[in-house]
Amino acid sequence: MNQPSKVLNSKPVTPAAKRLAVVLTLAFFLLPTGARAAGVTDIITLIRTITSTIQGAIGSALSEIQAINTTVRNLHEQVVWPMAVINQTKNFVSATRNQYQGVLSQVQHLPTNSATLASPAQLESVFRNGNAGGMGQVQPLFTKVYSPVPQPTDAHIFERNMMDMDDALATGSLKTTMISDQTTQTMLNLADTLEQQAAASAPGSADLLTAQARIANLENQAYLARMLAAELRQSAAHLAHENAALKKSVDSTRTLRQQMQQMLTRP
Amino acid sequence: MNRESLKRIWRFARNKLAFALALVVLLALLPGSARSQLGLDPCCAIISAGLQSISNLLKSVVAQPLSAIQKTQQQNSDFEQQVVWPVAAINQARGLAVQSQGQFALLRQLFQLSVASATLPTTQKLEQGLLSGNPGAVQQVSGNYVAVYGAVPSVTDAPQPVRDLVDMTDAEAQAAMKKAVEMDALASLELQAAEQINQQLQNAAPGSAAILEAQAAAWVVRADAYNQTAIAELVRLHSVGLANEGARLKFSAAHTQTLRNNTGSTLQRGAN
Repeated sequence: MNQPSKVLNSKPVTPAAKRLAVVLTLAFFLLPTGARAAGVTDIITLIRTITSTIQGAIGSALSEIQAINTTVRNLHEQVVWPMAVINQTKNFVSATRNQYQGVLSQVQHLPTNSATLASPAQLESVFRNGNAGGMGQVQPLFTKVYSPVPQPTDAHIFERNMMDMDDALATGSLKTTMISDQTTQTMLNLADTLEQQAAASAPGSADLLTAQARIANLENQAYLARMLAAELRQSAAHLAHENAALKKSVDSTRTLRQQMQQMLTRP
Repeated sequence: MNRESLKRIWRFARNKLAFALALVVLLALLPGSARSQLGLDPCCAIISAGLQSISNLLKSVVAQPLSAIQKTQQQNSDFEQQVVWPVAAINQARGLAVQSQGQFALLRQLFQLSVASATLPTTQKLEQGLLSGNPGAVQQVSGNYVAVYGAVPSVTDAPQPVRDLVDMTDAEAQAAMKKAVEMDALASLELQAAEQINQQLQNAAPGSAAILEAQAAAWVVRADAYNQTAIAELVRLHSVGLANEGARLKFSAAHTQTLRNNTGSTLQRGAN
């Protein structure tokens, strides 16, 4: 074994030896010391991290979202808008409508006409028929029953004015009641339509119907205001008439006093 | 084979062996990825198993709950679209608002029909003011009233209690007439507001309908309050009427007392 080493030591460096040295040097520099062992460990660690993230953070969050969604859905379907209760309510609306509609209509349409003579019966029939189109007939029929205002030759202007005012407000109020009756019928029809729609509505469309009912209620209040105005006019005229009668009495007394004084002072 | 030949052979073999050895060492020391290309690295199996595990987890832990969530969301969507807010029912309700608009317009026209019936010039003037529904006409009521019903008697014509009674009664009658004009004006404004709200309702959504309902409810409260003022005026009117009845009785009693006193005085004078 010493022989070859001696030969090697004794000989100059050959090209092959130089090549070997270059290869070894390159290998030394290219060598990623410990990289292989470290790379495998890192990969395993990374995979474990991803796995635990999927199982832990993502998985549990998704499970919670699913649980919340299910809870909300159950709340909506079983507590807030349960189909059975919604359908039961719709049926209730229909049943109530069927139960009362006929009775209400019968009661509302009970005849209240009570006049027995021809002219009053005609007048009553016109102002109770709920048709504003018949308003034109009121004036002549009213005059037929209550007589016209006397001619200027037949009554004092003060009395004629009072009679005319009384007649005007009475006739005007009767006409207003005809308009009111027709309006009432329209509003009753609207109420019925609203109830019908309510029976076929959904929880989400019921608010629209409620708003519609409120608006109709406001319209009703306005018509009620019109009727109150008519009643105010009529009652005010009634009071004014009584007061005017008192004034007339005072006037008559003054006239009487003046005439008596004239009689007494006459020689 | 002589010694020289053996040396040459040894030198050649030694060089080749050293090169091969260096190559093997170099290959052994190369990075894993280079070696894995050759399909020899055990890391591949670990990565493959890891990726498989991740894939399985994604399927079971992520995909399944996501699918369940999607299903729930879909059911929620269906439920809300078919049960809670069905478009057909919403449109039908809006249609009713459109239909009502026409009816309200007709009713408004009905109340615009004239009910004026006076035939004489003085009464026509008063009636015109009373039925005008124009708050500006309120000021004319008193003058027109006096033209029809007369003024309070002068001091020389009637005793003060009678003048007071007459004035109080006229005042209440005129106030009620003025209130009637106000009520007609308020009713017109209420009808106008109702039609405006109803127009909004025709384009409302289920979520905005409650706002309009609240507005309409506020108007109803307001209208109730106005109507209550009219009822109060009616009560005052009837109160004054009742008070007049009482006053007449009192006047009658006073007159009777005066007559009795006068009669007594006359009889006493006759006896003396």
